[in-house]
Amino acid sequence: MVTNDATILHIKHNVLYEVAKMAWEGRLEEDRDELPYKMIPGPQAQFRCCIYKEREIIKQRVRLAEGQCPVGRDSMNVVQVINAACEECPIASYLVTDNCRKCMGKACQNSCNFGAITMGDNRAYIDPTKCKECGKCAQACPYSAIAHLERPCKKVCPVDAITYDEYGICVIDETKCIQCGACIHSCPFGAIGTKTFMVDLIRLILAGKKVVAMVAPATEGQFGPDITMASWKTALKKIGFADMVEVGLGGDMTAASEAEEWAEAYKEGKKMTTSCCPAFVNMIRQHFPQVLDHMSTTVSPMCGVSRWLKQKDPETITVFIGPCIAKKSESLDLNITGNADYVLTFGEIRAMMRAKGVELEPEENSYQESSVFGKRFGNGGGVTSAVVQCFKEMGEDINPEVMKCSGGAECKKALLLLKLGKLPADFIEGMVCAGGCVGGPSKHKSEPEAKKARDILIGQADKRNIHENLVKVGADKVPMHRH
Amino acid sequence: MKVSICIGSACHLKGSREIIKEMQELVAKNGVGDKVDLNGAFCSGNCVNGVCVTVDGTLFSLKPENTKEFFEKEIMGRL
Repeated sequence: MVTNDATILHIKHNVLYEVAKMAWEGRLEEDRDELPYKMIPGPQAQFRCCIYKEREIIKQRVRLAEGQCPVGRDSMNVVQVINAACEECPIASYLVTDNCRKCMGKACQNSCNFGAITMGDNRAYIDPTKCKECGKCAQACPYSAIAHLERPCKKVCPVDAITYDEYGICVIDETKCIQCGACIHSCPFGAIGTKTFMVDLIRLILAGKKVVAMVAPATEGQFGPDITMASWKTALKKIGFADMVEVGLGGDMTAASEAEEWAEAYKEGKKMTTSCCPAFVNMIRQHFPQVLDHMSTTVSPMCGVSRWLKQKDPETITVFIGPCIAKKSESLDLNITGNADYVLTFGEIRAMMRAKGVELEPEENSYQESSVFGKRFGNGGGVTSAVVQCFKEMGEDINPEVMKCSGGAECKKALLLLKLGKLPADFIEGMVCAGGCVGGPSKHKSEPEAKKARDILIGQADKRNIHENLVKVGADKVPMHRH
Repeated sequence: MKVSICIGSACHLKGSREIIKEMQELVAKNGVGDKVDLNGAFCSGNCVNGVCVTVDGTLFSLKPENTKEFFEKEIMGRL
């Protein structure tokens, strides 16, 4: 993938691989402390001030890989700061650069309403104690000499959950964090990560438990046109999963249930939102509780498939695999019954595979459990298309106006309008990642890079209807509401 | 009230799923869904005894067969 964090990804995936390998071989307890020395042999530091800091970062990453907080702090948040890795980026957000010519115009000084700018020896100086960060000086400078610096993590957070401690180390405000994971790949030092369930799952597989994987609708296309759902099934079975199901099927289940809800609401003139994106659900709960009544009570595709599997065999342990971080928080919400027991990202499952010498290999696209609409659930606009398809199949003549939001900012705007009673649409489709789940934080390839392969793979699927598919696989009798 | 139940592999093998299922049923049966918030927790490293359950920050060690008694005493009793 075109990414600015290739070096960090390399280290991160190496840690996941090594931890997975130790867990598979049952020697994690004895050997985990050796890993920082193995990965950072020294004596020369590669990226940080010294090897001791580099080793501490590896140690914290190992803790995250094991599902613990990077340091001993007790915190329930899925997204965590690896504090040894945080480089204390400057917080001062406007800075005068070398471009400053200390000109006679002094547009910066004249534009500042707070008297924060004085002239230094070589250039203008902004007093951080007086600066209100209004940005007027940067706009006024004819040499573009004033740069706007914002911490990359803070910049991408859609809910303003990034703060700092007195030493300038990043701290996540857990009352605000919606676990979307946007900050993780934005940090150029790789200082934010998530807890993983990898070691727990390896231990459960080794203990002989029946663990079934549920692979996200956003998966097809991520690993090229030859890696099919059948490829995933084969690889997962090789490492000890009992079976695999396509969560596109859950997309069909959610769409069918949501169509009934929407049809009713539409007739009553009540506005509604989707409920399948866990970060969007968290955003509503934590930032717009006033509109909770408008949120669909249908469970997510992941939960639908998990309930279906547990209906068939209550002993099944269900694991969702996808590009999503917020799904981890959804699985931890035990107020919803029958949801996925665990969640893994693509990076985590592939580390588990590699540690067993297994790779995804090309296989014929012979295996289909979902309609094309369910498969497209992971694209922005996909939920709406599936619900509209259900309306058609139900013989409902409804053409709803839907505000399709992808990305945190769009979701926030739509929810604000709904809260104020000014939403110019009937429904909101909310996806916190830009482009939908295919743009998720743990994606393998970006949406444009994966598009061609995704279109090829989904293009090979038959054109079954949603309701027809649910009856065919026996998933039409699964309870699809939260309670 | 925030109730966290460990879902790590060690607690899983000691029956945390049975405890979760029973707690979910008890919350529904007693109609306290709006007061009790059930959460899964990552392993906190206290897995020597039973399944780790935390009620508003206080740590308990639970066995599946004691769930009902525990629910009556530590959850209903604190509401």
